Amino acid sequence: MKKLFAPLAACVLATSAHAADLTVYTYDSFVSEWGPGPQLESAFEEQCQCDLEFIAVDDGISILNRLRIEKDKTKADVLLGLDDSLTEVTRRESLVQPHGVALDGLKAELQWQDQDFLPYDYGFFSFIYNTENIVDPVTSLRELIESDASVIYQDPRTSTPGQGLMLWVKAVYGNLAPAAWNQLATHTVTVTKGWWEAYSMFLEDDADYVLSYNTSPAYHVIAEEKNQYKAALFSEGHIAQIEVAAISRYTDNPELSKEFLSFLISPQAQTIIPVTNWMLPVVDNIELPEVFDHLIQPTRIGFTPKQVAQQRKVWLREWRSSAN
Amino acid sequence: MRLHWLAYPLILSLTSLSFYGLISFGDEGFDTALLQDSYFYSILGFTLKQALLSALLSVGIAIPIARTLYFFPDLPAKKLFLTFCLLCFVTPTLIVITGLVALLGRSGFMTPWLDSFFNTFMDNSWNLYGLSGILIAHIFMNMPLAVRIIYLQLQTIPDNSWKLASQLKLNQGQRFRLIEWPVLRSSGLLLLCFIFVLCFNSFAVVLALGGGPQSTTLEVAIYQALKYDFNIPEALTLAWTQLLVAGGLYWLITRAGGLSWQSVESNQYLWRPKHNPASTRRAMIIYALSWCVLLLPYLSLLPGLFNSELSGKDLRAIGHSALISVALAVIAALLAMAAAFALLQPIRQAALGAQVKRMWLYESMATHALVAPAMVLSVGLFVYLLPRIDLERWGIIFVVILNTALVIPFAVQKLKPRLLQFDQQYNRLARSLKLTRATRWQIEWPFIQEIYLATLGLVLVLAMGDVAIFSIFGSPEWTTLPWLIYGYASSYRITEASTASFILLALCASFLFLLEKYTVSRPTPIKNKTPGRQPQYEGNTHA
Repeated sequence: MKKLFAPLAACVLATSAHAADLTVYTYDSFVSEWGPGPQLESAFEEQCQCDLEFIAVDDGISILNRLRIEKDKTKADVLLGLDDSLTEVTRRESLVQPHGVALDGLKAELQWQDQDFLPYDYGFFSFIYNTENIVDPVTSLRELIESDASVIYQDPRTSTPGQGLMLWVKAVYGNLAPAAWNQLATHTVTVTKGWWEAYSMFLEDDADYVLSYNTSPAYHVIAEEKNQYKAALFSEGHIAQIEVAAISRYTDNPELSKEFLSFLISPQAQTIIPVTNWMLPVVDNIELPEVFDHLIQPTRIGFTPKQVAQQRKVWLREWRSSAN
Repeated sequence: MRLHWLAYPLILSLTSLSFYGLISFGDEGFDTALLQDSYFYSILGFTLKQALLSALLSVGIAIPIARTLYFFPDLPAKKLFLTFCLLCFVTPTLIVITGLVALLGRSGFMTPWLDSFFNTFMDNSWNLYGLSGILIAHIFMNMPLAVRIIYLQLQTIPDNSWKLASQLKLNQGQRFRLIEWPVLRSSGLLLLCFIFVLCFNSFAVVLALGGGPQSTTLEVAIYQALKYDFNIPEALTLAWTQLLVAGGLYWLITRAGGLSWQSVESNQYLWRPKHNPASTRRAMIIYALSWCVLLLPYLSLLPGLFNSELSGKDLRAIGHSALISVALAVIAALLAMAAAFALLQPIRQAALGAQVKRMWLYESMATHALVAPAMVLSVGLFVYLLPRIDLERWGIIFVVILNTALVIPFAVQKLKPRLLQFDQQYNRLARSLKLTRATRWQIEWPFIQEIYLATLGLVLVLAMGDVAIFSIFGSPEWTTLPWLIYGYASSYRITEASTASFILLALCASFLFLLEKYTVSRPTPIKNKTPGRQPQYEGNTHA
């Protein structure tokens, strides 16, 4: 029995260490041992000669919820892992402060002007298919919706990619979105709670197309040496998901926080993030494995975070009553 | 032994604190706008429909299987089958979903046959997704449990009934109606509402196999309201609805159907009606089919397993998490067993005094966590504790506490019949002999030991499968095995996820088999004969 509890006791001691110089709230897979967290932590600690601590919660939305509960009692100095659909709400609840980091190094494509949130990676929602099953992939969202190809996507009420598709259909179809949902429903296999359920069903060959990211094929090539998974490029353009970091309004250490944010968009961090978080770098001229050059490069369409925040509920209702 | 006066306030205050946490956080307490939305009623309707159908089908299918097991005591590997039934019940939904998709999905192993069958007879092609998929998954998880409980319940029929029936030359229909039905009715009704409540709260299965927004349950809406919209009044309204509807139904039925007393056990020969060859053949077919149905989803996952190569790093991570999972679950399970024992004291007193209402009241309080939405409990407690306690440091303790709270109802329901039976048989004797508490315990322990260990196994594996609570209170250095699986799965590493799932499943299985094995380490039934005590007595119980 003693042997069993020894590692547990060690963990208790490890967690009860003194408070760190910089506390970063992020989501779980970011700090998993195969995620970017561990590498970023050691790189930044070397640079600042300080102690960085990640506190991981379930996912991006949970970071926001946690701040809403903690308010001024929060331990967070930096929030890492919100996305552009959450920035408006976070700002409205005055949980962040301006980051003061120069934005001119960012890719022009992002058109990023936000003074409160700083992007650190991004990806385009895309439909992934298996070239062993699909020879002629669809080339537009309209073609997909009008086809009879089987599709799995995620529930917009419970997942970020699902919400991305909701915006995508809205951006392409406008007022005709309900009819489009209705048509998509006729060849939808299922709508899952989260990303992995959909993706693993797709890997079991249960659908022709699954909603994921344009970077997904890179994972299969690098980690599994599988070349058959590709993202379909749609002529209407794609919706992007931009992951952002921000400085907590209640931080005691705004200087160090700012330094960490600048570090996030440094070439060093930007080289680590794509191959661990499987998203695209936000600055140009980053040396990446070759497969990243072969990913599709969609044009970006969509809505401003403000529009999303205003319309989300209405669009959700529209989806839920017509996607049957 | 006045511990129960501590146990009741403790479990009730946990729930109250959770609701208090949410109510005091939101500005307004109740969202009446939701009650005017037709969406709310359509999801409530769907929740009720799928839960009711799942429960009816699970119990309906379980009855013939349980009867087969009962009437043919010599079926090969029957003991193994019964343990396997328990394993199906506790299998993490992640495994159930992938297994069913690999078996029955669009490219499933069985799909070509199903397709041709459907094309020939129904003029339609097979489709797993939709209500059918939800029902199949719910039946797969709950029917085996029902088989187990109904089988054990049938074993309480005294031999004399069968002898009498044969003397009176009752035909099969009469035997069923007069002898089996009274037993089946009470346990069946309880099982119905137990499975109903479990399916009422179902979430991931419903979304994954439901096929679209038409398949939405209240639990999905709670999740959305609490997590994505952070709309606490709406979440509370939904939670109250769930408590009222699921809880109300549950309590009504347990009240109506839960009063059958255990017959006093006697040392008896197991006497069964004779069978003709045709019915023996039929029994063998039913038995073989049941094995197939339960095994196939697991077998269909095996091919995926052989593809995976785990690195040493992954193996270490899995081993470490497995150790943590086991340790946490053991603590939670032991706490839950102790709590259940304490909670049962006043129930036993009430039963002895035949105070039915009081007994019902205590029981409702002791098992209320079964119908309270787990998500609301954990988020509510989180909201309450976050400003007061350093949860980075102490969160893991609340993972244990909440897991304990959530498995207590299972422990209570399973221990109750055996303890009541003990009281009924020995209480008067014990009192007239003026036994000390210690001596009394010496008699009581051997009487309950088997069921105690079996229950411990069940609550242990239930606690081991938790992700919902860990996702809120856990921290990375305490990563449990189920959480690690979700971690793998959410970063493309689906083969690692399925390998880790199998390790989790194997762990659960070995606990169940070990504890069950221990319970029957004494003489096993010889042909047509049972030892003084039946090897496994679960009686009038849910789980």
